[in-house]
Amino acid sequence: MSEAPCDVRVENVRRIFGARAAVDDITLTAPAGKVTALLGASGSGKSTLLRLIAGLERVDGGRILLGETVASTTASLLPAEARQVGFVFQDFALFPHMTAAQNVAFGLDKLERKARPREAAAWLERVGLGHRADAYPHELSGGEQQRVALARALAPRPRAVLLDEPFSGLDPALRAELRDTTLDAVASIGATTLFVTHDAEEALYVADQIAILRAGKLVQADTPRALYAAPVSPEAAAALGPVNRFEGAIAGGALQTPFGKIAAPGRGEGAATAVVRAEALHFAPDGAPVTVLDRRPQGAFDLVRVTAGEIVWRMSAAAGEGPASGARANIRIRPEGAFVF
Amino acid sequence: MEVAVQGGKAVEARGEARALSFAAVSPGWPLVAALVAALVCAAPAIAVLFGAVGAAPAGAGAANLMRDAVIGTLALTLGAGLIATALGAAAAWLVTLCDFPGRSIFEWLLVLPLAAPVYVLAYAYGAITGPGGPVPLGLSGLVGAGFVYVVGLYPYIYLSTRAAFVSQNVCALEAARGLGAGPWRTFFTVAAPLAWPGVAAGGALAAMEIAADYGAASYFGASTITTGVFRAWFSRGEPQLAMQLASLLLIGALVFLWLERAARGKRGFAGGSARWRTLKRITLSPPAAFGATAFCAMLALLGALIPIAWLTRLASFRTFEDFTQLSEPLLRSLVIAGIGAAVTLGVSALIALAARRVSGRIGLFAAAIGYAAPGAVTALGALAVFSMLREAGLVGGLSGAAAVTMLLWVYASRFAAAGAQPIEAGLTRVTRNIADAGRTLGVGPLQRAWRIELPIAAPAAVAGALIVFVEILKELPATLVLRPYDFETLATRAYAYASDERLIQAAAPSLMITLAGLIPVIMLSRRLTRSRAGDRE
Repeated sequence: MSEAPCDVRVENVRRIFGARAAVDDITLTAPAGKVTALLGASGSGKSTLLRLIAGLERVDGGRILLGETVASTTASLLPAEARQVGFVFQDFALFPHMTAAQNVAFGLDKLERKARPREAAAWLERVGLGHRADAYPHELSGGEQQRVALARALAPRPRAVLLDEPFSGLDPALRAELRDTTLDAVASIGATTLFVTHDAEEALYVADQIAILRAGKLVQADTPRALYAAPVSPEAAAALGPVNRFEGAIAGGALQTPFGKIAAPGRGEGAATAVVRAEALHFAPDGAPVTVLDRRPQGAFDLVRVTAGEIVWRMSAAAGEGPASGARANIRIRPEGAFVF
Repeated sequence: MEVAVQGGKAVEARGEARALSFAAVSPGWPLVAALVAALVCAAPAIAVLFGAVGAAPAGAGAANLMRDAVIGTLALTLGAGLIATALGAAAAWLVTLCDFPGRSIFEWLLVLPLAAPVYVLAYAYGAITGPGGPVPLGLSGLVGAGFVYVVGLYPYIYLSTRAAFVSQNVCALEAARGLGAGPWRTFFTVAAPLAWPGVAAGGALAAMEIAADYGAASYFGASTITTGVFRAWFSRGEPQLAMQLASLLLIGALVFLWLERAARGKRGFAGGSARWRTLKRITLSPPAAFGATAFCAMLALLGALIPIAWLTRLASFRTFEDFTQLSEPLLRSLVIAGIGAAVTLGVSALIALAARRVSGRIGLFAAAIGYAAPGAVTALGALAVFSMLREAGLVGGLSGAAAVTMLLWVYASRFAAAGAQPIEAGLTRVTRNIADAGRTLGVGPLQRAWRIELPIAAPAAVAGALIVFVEILKELPATLVLRPYDFETLATRAYAYASDERLIQAAAPSLMITLAGLIPVIMLSRRLTRSRAGDRE
């Protein structure tokens, strides 16, 4: 019954609520069978974009294609129920009057009646909930509900799966585990996946492609590595982790910061903004002199604040290594984490 | 809305055409459902308005009948309505904002009169004040009817005023006290003005009930518009006059309905689910507290305890054989109320489901009209529609089956709103995401209604069905007009006995009706105890 996974193509799509454009002229292709993360703060339009792709909202401009099918235009709308697009909601939206197994079997209409419970049981087993098949949603923990919602969305073998912040309400230890469960389950049917998150680390970990959204507009879309290595704007750089900004001027093909030069090939003279990732700063004896303000442990790394004159920069350093708070030190900028815009 | 067809670009892919035609149809279904439900609910009322148009019947008799009827109904709705409003509002204020012995018992005991329809109270007081009764005052006429309306209908005002007090912002009251206003000044400057819409809403409801009543007015021989409708139609054989009286009544009812809606806003009877901080009650001085207890006790005694006790006493005079004579009307009542509740709930479900879309709100509106229309009016309207259909050759004569069908239709028209309300409340559990989850799993709108929305609303619908069942059991005028020959329910049997002044015989069916009426009252009081003014944090 299932069709092959398809590209999801969003072309110049707009969605307007009142006077505000929630989605403003976004063009993006989620390649077939790959995981695309939509990364952005709340209000960036990422959830709305997901609902537009699912057919739960109409577009006010542009069009959406699922494979070769034109699914949404301003003139026509393929209804959500005809799209074969699975959706995992942020609040899971399980049917409260059905058991876990009945929830998963809900979308299996096209299977023979007898085959439905078997298929539902197999899916619950796959997400590790075989023993909870007869439990009602209110009897399940948050993580269990998430897995039922995932199994329910995947069981009909949709061409694409849309996940709207599926882990946001769960505790961190559970998140990591569920992320892997989810990736494995999605990979098992090979569906095109779009995944909304506001967590950069999660996007980097999960996605084949990351699309950064801001105020309804697409900032940049690329593979995680390309995005990390070559952001197109300060916003794109800041979306993937803590950065330092420095307003300076380009002279002789480089921008001079208190901590060293950043190359700006091909740029003319004049004012410019330098953006330096926290992890692109490192302690080096031959670097610029700074004073360490404080160090805050973050697991394997410490977030270190250093100051030179009035400027305070943040950097990350291996936990416990290097100078302590209050000490003088020297730092350098690694060129691969520093950009001039 | 699920679709936007705004013209413009032609459909591109051919495979899309099927899906599109489906999509173009789908937003229509709530509207279609709502229109069907609206037709069921509002058609009788509209038929009455149409039937009233035409030459006024000549003759002094008709003019006198109309004049007396209008005077009677005006006197009763204003006189009894205002007294009931004053008593109900006072009781609500005492119970919610003051402290006195028995307060927590009166909180639910004061609702009890709603269990007995006013015609049952009329029969009880007819026996109590009649010859051989303990208080032979000979209650009759407008005074008699007015008395039972006051003691039987004050709970409407009590409930809505209480809800208004309960849902008041306690902070406003506390702020007033904090600013140095004493409890009494706080009441008059803050609490009372805030409660006023509740008082007005309850008063409008009571006035609607008074205007619609047939049983009590007819028993006491009071001339009202409702009894006038019956007299014009059956005694004088003037359907035109009956229609005119009925449309007068209908317009009055709609005015009261509008008043009630306008006053109530979006508040419900039991005061919603919001949490309120503890409101400190005014402690009454011993004499005042005694007065409060006596006042509330008097309302509960007159409205429920005394008449029920007296009916029980009368019923106890009957032999076992007398009761077996009631088995047939009892069975008929249960069957017709059961089928009627099922039919009505079907209409209610359509209305509630359709009302989730803007395009389907018309069903709610029509149901409100059907609910406001008095039973006698709706029955007349149904007959008018029937005779139109017969003239058009679409139906045959008024057979028993046709009569029962019309009866069920009238019940659905009158009580669909009562059933739709709890279903609508139950449907709020179906969040947008839950409905959308059904859509993304490939399930269309009708299947979603059947597999998601209705099952989730089912527990609420059961409560609605129970309320409708009891309403039908209590219904008198429409049943009287439309029942097939020899078809007796408990209500019509009690009416027939009472009309013959055989009150001892009327007692047992009256009690049975009251017993059934206790079910929704108990449900209501359980909700009340969960929504006390500021008792729960």
